[in-house]
Amino acid sequence: MSSATKEISRDEVALYDRQIRLWGMEAQKRLGQSKVKIHGIKAVTLELSKNLVLAGIKSLYLIDNTAINEEDLETQYYFNENDLGQPRDKVLADRLRVLNPLVNIEAGDVDDKCDAVVSVGSNKESVEVNKRCRDKGECFVAADSFGLFGYIFVDCLDTHEYVEEVRVEGDAGETRKESFVASYIELQESVRARPEISNLNRLVRKYPPLVFISQALSTGASCKDEGELTALVEKTLTGRGIPEGIVGEELMQRVASSLGTEFVPCAAVVGGTLAQEILKIITRKDMPINNWYVYDALQADGIVCKL
Amino acid sequence: MRNTSQLARLFGANTVEKISHARVLVVGAGGIGCELLKDLSMSGYRHIHAIDLDTIDLSNLNRQFLFQRKHIKKPKALVAISAITQFNPQINAQATQANIKDPQFTADWFGHFDMVFNALDNLEARRHVNAMCLATGVPLIESGTAGYLGQVTVICGGRTECFDCHPKPAEKKTYPVCTIRSTPTAPIHCVVWAKNYLFAQLFGQAEAEADEINDGDDAEELKVLREEAQALARLTEAMGTDDFARLVFEKAFCTDIERLLSMKDMWAQRRPPKPLDFSELELKSPCADKFDPTSLPDYEPLTIEQAFSLFAYSCQQLASRRAGEVLHFDKDDIDALYFVAATASLRSFAFGIDQRSIFAVKAMAGNIIPAIATTNAMIAGMMVLQSILVLSNRISECRTAYLTYGSKRTRTITKETLKPPSPLCPVCRRRYLTMRIADFGKTTLGDVIEFVQLLEGQRDLKLGREISIVEGSRILYDPDYDDNLTRTLESLGLVSGRMLTLASEDDVVVPVVLSICGSREDGTESIVIEGFERIPEFAPLPEKTPSDGNNETDDQAVIVVVDEPSIDLASREQDKRKLNTQDVDPTTGESRKRCAVDWGSSDKDITILD
Repeated sequence: MSSATKEISRDEVALYDRQIRLWGMEAQKRLGQSKVKIHGIKAVTLELSKNLVLAGIKSLYLIDNTAINEEDLETQYYFNENDLGQPRDKVLADRLRVLNPLVNIEAGDVDDKCDAVVSVGSNKESVEVNKRCRDKGECFVAADSFGLFGYIFVDCLDTHEYVEEVRVEGDAGETRKESFVASYIELQESVRARPEISNLNRLVRKYPPLVFISQALSTGASCKDEGELTALVEKTLTGRGIPEGIVGEELMQRVASSLGTEFVPCAAVVGGTLAQEILKIITRKDMPINNWYVYDALQADGIVCKL
Repeated sequence: MRNTSQLARLFGANTVEKISHARVLVVGAGGIGCELLKDLSMSGYRHIHAIDLDTIDLSNLNRQFLFQRKHIKKPKALVAISAITQFNPQINAQATQANIKDPQFTADWFGHFDMVFNALDNLEARRHVNAMCLATGVPLIESGTAGYLGQVTVICGGRTECFDCHPKPAEKKTYPVCTIRSTPTAPIHCVVWAKNYLFAQLFGQAEAEADEINDGDDAEELKVLREEAQALARLTEAMGTDDFARLVFEKAFCTDIERLLSMKDMWAQRRPPKPLDFSELELKSPCADKFDPTSLPDYEPLTIEQAFSLFAYSCQQLASRRAGEVLHFDKDDIDALYFVAATASLRSFAFGIDQRSIFAVKAMAGNIIPAIATTNAMIAGMMVLQSILVLSNRISECRTAYLTYGSKRTRTITKETLKPPSPLCPVCRRRYLTMRIADFGKTTLGDVIEFVQLLEGQRDLKLGREISIVEGSRILYDPDYDDNLTRTLESLGLVSGRMLTLASEDDVVVPVVLSICGSREDGTESIVIEGFERIPEFAPLPEKTPSDGNNETDDQAVIVVVDEPSIDLASREQDKRKLNTQDVDPTTGESRKRCAVDWGSSDKDITILD
């Protein structure tokens, strides 16, 4: 871990005061030198970007030149009628700049090595993007928020060093910093992983069924209704020793009815969690989710598991 | 034009219709408020009213994303509403810059909303909104955040627990006066001494200190400490002279410490302090007029020479200002902060206590609560979903949810089902009615009592003949105190927006709370009491047991740390929760039983006063 050297100006300290008091000056310095790249612009991308720009990363690259359509206007609060037909990444980059003029925000891909690369939505290229990240030594995150659900997958490579405050025994509230190492696997490996447990009840206790749906959706096949979703999930589960019926019909129905929709408050929860994990990756303070997070808004469930 | 087709697919056209007609009030347009207003404007809500007393500050901009640098010093509510109206021009949004506790916000005013969202940072205002929502039967979505932690809950009067169903920890930390003045052991003790004693005595109101000391067991020591404070206050006469800084220094860091040292018993078990030497430090430090405080490190502890120079500099600055005004400590007043940081540092050197940076002292003296965008965004998102469940009559699906933090967590959110009201709650276990008064200058308290007793004949209030009437903590009437009977409501300050509590003398029935409002436009009656249809059926009050009282108070003399913004409840809730993680069902995340509440403090130096 190289130590950050660049000093922060007094003005920046005044701006970032309330967060420096939470994660410390060293973490803020690291943020000020960090680069994040996001493939795919959806409601959760906007929430993630907003949080990262406010936190004060150095550079944000947005990649999605899809033309803005009517549906986008339902969830993208920085877009308006005049933007219809314009590329999403360019318009969003323009609008986000007012949030924090200290952050460099650009539309389009770059070769620079990033601290984290995020693939948003059912992106067919996620597995490939993850592989390229591994080659370059970049952390990879896949995430989505659709309807009343969301998920996050994190790959911080084979060794991710981080620091955590540990409570000192016996002393009230006193902590000291300790270093740890965590190991992650790539998306393709995770969606093929065989859980060590085969008993259905114990399996459900350890893995929220929503994670298997998320695995199916994260690798990019699109599906429109419950039938297609069920088939996709079954295909993802094949050959992994996971008993049929791990995903109940009720959950499958609820997820299916959320497909193809976005809901800003749900994206805010997933995008908030996602931004927090990326800040952990950058600052190397506390362990990023290892390796799945699933969110069910109606149940108020935000669950982390390793698969 | 924002379409709502995706909302309709998720919640149904009927619910979207209800959302679009709901009138909602957002109390607080700060950290949670900005996120909440954004979410509401994108979730089909169209009638949104935001209220906030504050103006925008630079340190808000890292999370209150509806604000930019050009908005600094402008009212939060107005700028926030203007921003979300740009997000969605269809919404009909209003902003008010005011304190929600002002009497202009009467029960009538609260009553015209369909839902209230609390996005506040202090217990007092949250309590007030809770009571107003109970009085008007309006559902309340309650929230709080602190750092990475946060919570959301839903309050529906009579059906669920209210904000006050469980006692809240005191917001103000207090310290035993002897710890602060004689035997400090931690950096915070030095900061409290510098801010609440030294700064207040020299530059603030001299009598302030006397109010903060209660007589305790050690009356002798307190008497000496009081004399010591008076001697310090006399130094203010030297203010403006070249000698001022030296006199203060010698008093605070030599004379007083030498007196403490003379008390041998005090140091039998403690490390004794060392007096500091003014002349020696003066030789080693640059002159006050050549000293530049901005050259000091903000994030590292000061050296003793740096602390000395900063002390001399800030003394001079404050003395020149004190000539014209009484100063109150403000963490954003740089001279005041320098003075507190310097003197806390010098005291730490004298007592062998760890040093803290100016940056850290600012947080301690100003009680700054860390705050980030992500936590607020998550909490606000969860609040909106809960509000939609309430509007679509799915209250049984609502949850109290807590954000957790930590590497080992398997849940980022823990949750509980909503609980029924506590049978002992002093706030929601009340019969809330509205009392309309035509002429506050004519109607007397006696008229009100007479009217209530006449009403007993028609409505079975069961208050009996012997009642007591209180407003806040003020007793207005009881059978042994009838001085106010002939006074008008106006002369008693009982105007619209106030609440009267009527209790039966024998304590067997649930008290009645009257929210005072003006007459309706077509009203001719001098007094009207209405809202009986809202009152739930209450069982008689359980008999009081002696253990119900608060047993946290202590006779120890304390310095009350005043002027502190409140600590949010979330962190404490979370601490509680951490200790009880074994009670959370790993598969459902539901709490198996309500956590045992320990409101006592773990730090024995801190006394919590009610």
